[in-house]
Amino acid sequence: MPSVEPAAQSHIEKRLTLAVTLWLKRWAATLWLGIREWCGDSAYERYVQAQRTSPGKSRLLTPTEFYIERMNRRYSRPNRCC
Amino acid sequence: MKRLISVAIWIVVAIIGAGALGGIAFHRGEPLNATWFVVAAACCYLVAYRFYSAFIAARLLALDDSRATPSERHDDGRDFVPTNKWILFGHHFAAIAGPGPLVGPTLAAQFGYLPGTLWLIAGAVFAGCVQDFIILFCSIRRDGKTLGEIAREEVSERGGFIAQIAVLAIMVILLGVVALVIVNALKSSPWATFTLAATIPIALLLGLYLRFLRPGRVLEASFIGVALVLFVVVAGQWVADSPSWAHVFTLSGVTLAFALIAYGFAASALPVWLLLAPRDYLSAFIKAGAIFSLAAGILLVRPQVLMPPLTRFIDGSGPVFAGKIFPFCFITIACGAISGFHSLISSGTTPKMILRESHARFIGYGAMLMESFVGVMAMIAACAMTPGVYFAINSPASIVGATSDAAAATISSWGYPLQAQTMTDLARAVGEQTLLNRAGGAPSLAVGMAQIFSSTIGGPRLLSIWYHFAIMFEALFILTVLDAGTRVGRFMVQELGGRVWKPFARTSWWPGILLSSALIVGAWGYFLYQGVVDPLGGINSLWPLFGISNQLLAAVALVVATTILLKMKRIRWIWLTLIPMAWLVIITMTASYQKIFDPNPRLGFLSYAKALAAQIAAGKIPAAKIADTQRVIFNQRLDAAVTAVLAAMIIVLIVEALMQWYRILSSDPKSVLHETAYVATRWPEDFSGASYAGVPVEPEAPAVEG
Repeated sequence: MPSVEPAAQSHIEKRLTLAVTLWLKRWAATLWLGIREWCGDSAYERYVQAQRTSPGKSRLLTPTEFYIERMNRRYSRPNRCC
Repeated sequence: MKRLISVAIWIVVAIIGAGALGGIAFHRGEPLNATWFVVAAACCYLVAYRFYSAFIAARLLALDDSRATPSERHDDGRDFVPTNKWILFGHHFAAIAGPGPLVGPTLAAQFGYLPGTLWLIAGAVFAGCVQDFIILFCSIRRDGKTLGEIAREEVSERGGFIAQIAVLAIMVILLGVVALVIVNALKSSPWATFTLAATIPIALLLGLYLRFLRPGRVLEASFIGVALVLFVVVAGQWVADSPSWAHVFTLSGVTLAFALIAYGFAASALPVWLLLAPRDYLSAFIKAGAIFSLAAGILLVRPQVLMPPLTRFIDGSGPVFAGKIFPFCFITIACGAISGFHSLISSGTTPKMILRESHARFIGYGAMLMESFVGVMAMIAACAMTPGVYFAINSPASIVGATSDAAAATISSWGYPLQAQTMTDLARAVGEQTLLNRAGGAPSLAVGMAQIFSSTIGGPRLLSIWYHFAIMFEALFILTVLDAGTRVGRFMVQELGGRVWKPFARTSWWPGILLSSALIVGAWGYFLYQGVVDPLGGINSLWPLFGISNQLLAAVALVVATTILLKMKRIRWIWLTLIPMAWLVIITMTASYQKIFDPNPRLGFLSYAKALAAQIAAGKIPAAKIADTQRVIFNQRLDAAVTAVLAAMIIVLIVEALMQWYRILSSDPKSVLHETAYVATRWPEDFSGASYAGVPVEPEAPAVEG
């Protein structure tokens, strides 16, 4: 079996560790963003973005106003089933 | 080569699934392991999703990803929000999955494990998922219109009105019956009552936190809330052990019914952010956790299924509810196989957030498969306990007797051996005074879950904690349906009332809010009260009524879907919706007829009323009970009338639809498809909606007064 130079081996290890860390980091970040979006934490940010790209006639709501308005709309139509 | 491997893998999956299904169906004798059920269901779902849903997507609906969805055209960051496929799946699943797929299979387990399991799998694959998927597609093509609006445009004005009334009627019956399930789980149980009562102040606390302290920070608030809820589950034991406190939380069925009615009224009339929304967050997190842990528990423990494949009760004499396997197995298991209520979620909310048309397959068809899997797990949990125990928990006192000795004797005489001591010991082990006569499915499911969980973590010592955790999670689920449903029902009443008198429709007008809330709460409260005082145990009459109305709504949805497909000239594949629709019409009509007219007093509403009237006339009822009995007679006639009205509505709708179909097939120019016009998408092909999350936000600007 051909032996690998110690220096080269440590280089491969380093590259591998880096790749795995990056991959894990990216997955953790996606998961975190996903959870935030699912539970509604990022809804306001999303609303601001939408208002910026296509501004409506009404003024921008504050986070509190937006939150209350969102809750009111959400629970005014069937959203929980048997 | 790649294609060859894929074909080989799918052949293997199909063979394993067919083998497991055959194993379940033809197995006799020794108890079967639950793994068979999990494998059979999973393989069927995989094959159905890979092939059947792909076929529907490509041939029947011809989903078009080049077409801009409502979320792209109307993106406003409020209702129309382009949402990543996986996240929307989470939203949609959290919205469709409620207590239904847990309670229905548990009740239907009285026929044995086989009929319920087969219906859960086949019903979901061929009917339930198809309905959810196609209605979602139809609503996407119509800017997220609701089922009622679509029915009005595509079927007829009257059809739309019927759909609207049907939705309101099913809502009222649904709320009444799920409230009854909570009452039966909580009555004379201080531990469970305390735990559930404590979730209300916890929710209020979260509501204030989310409104004033950290607006909109749902995640952190929910973590605090879930921790507090888990704490009160444990604390319930201390309450139950303390003689003075236990007394306060030991409530009768009637008291609990009035408490729930008061709660429903408060949740509907109070601002949403205070009570309803934070409770819903708690429930969503606990729901996700409990379903995952149930799946993990079943896979780890792999319990034996002790219930036989078929019981003697397929002849209609079942103690949990009366009625033969056909049609009542298919009525009892509504959610989990097919649920008309889903068509309200699939139209209106989800279509406004979907990113691409092709996602409708994963979200519409896939989420329903997942719900069906929840139903199969509930079936496993119910069938994993000794059949004798199952019947003792779920049968009303009027059939098996009120004491454990009487119940054990009756149930043993049916051929399901049970000792009185077993029930007393089990009740003590789960921290209850009694487990007898708790029809409704929640307690027996909780016992099943607790047995599965405690063989993974904690052993018998933790049985009582697991039991109360399971009860809390089911009750929390149901309370969420109750308050959200009451509020939506209130809006429907206000909308309908607004047609008669304009100001009534104003959703911020206090007298209107109070009156409409009282109306809707009064309506379901009446059904609840009637169920609590029903001598046959209200589940026997109310759960089938709920099943019938839910399946009728599914029939409405499939009538609408068929009409639209005919208009789209997809005549060749029309049987994909036509057959499930015909099946639903057959089972609901048979069940309605039997519930109204059957001569067996336990099954037929009218014959029960007649039997009671005869008893009064013969002087067999003590004078003190005559007024109560007369009320029961009135309730039976009311139930018969409600069933008849529901059945009549669907017949009218079908006649309307048939006329429309005739016009379509004879190419009448008046029958046109009301789809929104094609607009090409401007999003790149790989756009997943994720880029929106996490964009920086400007600091909060002060609110402008006036």
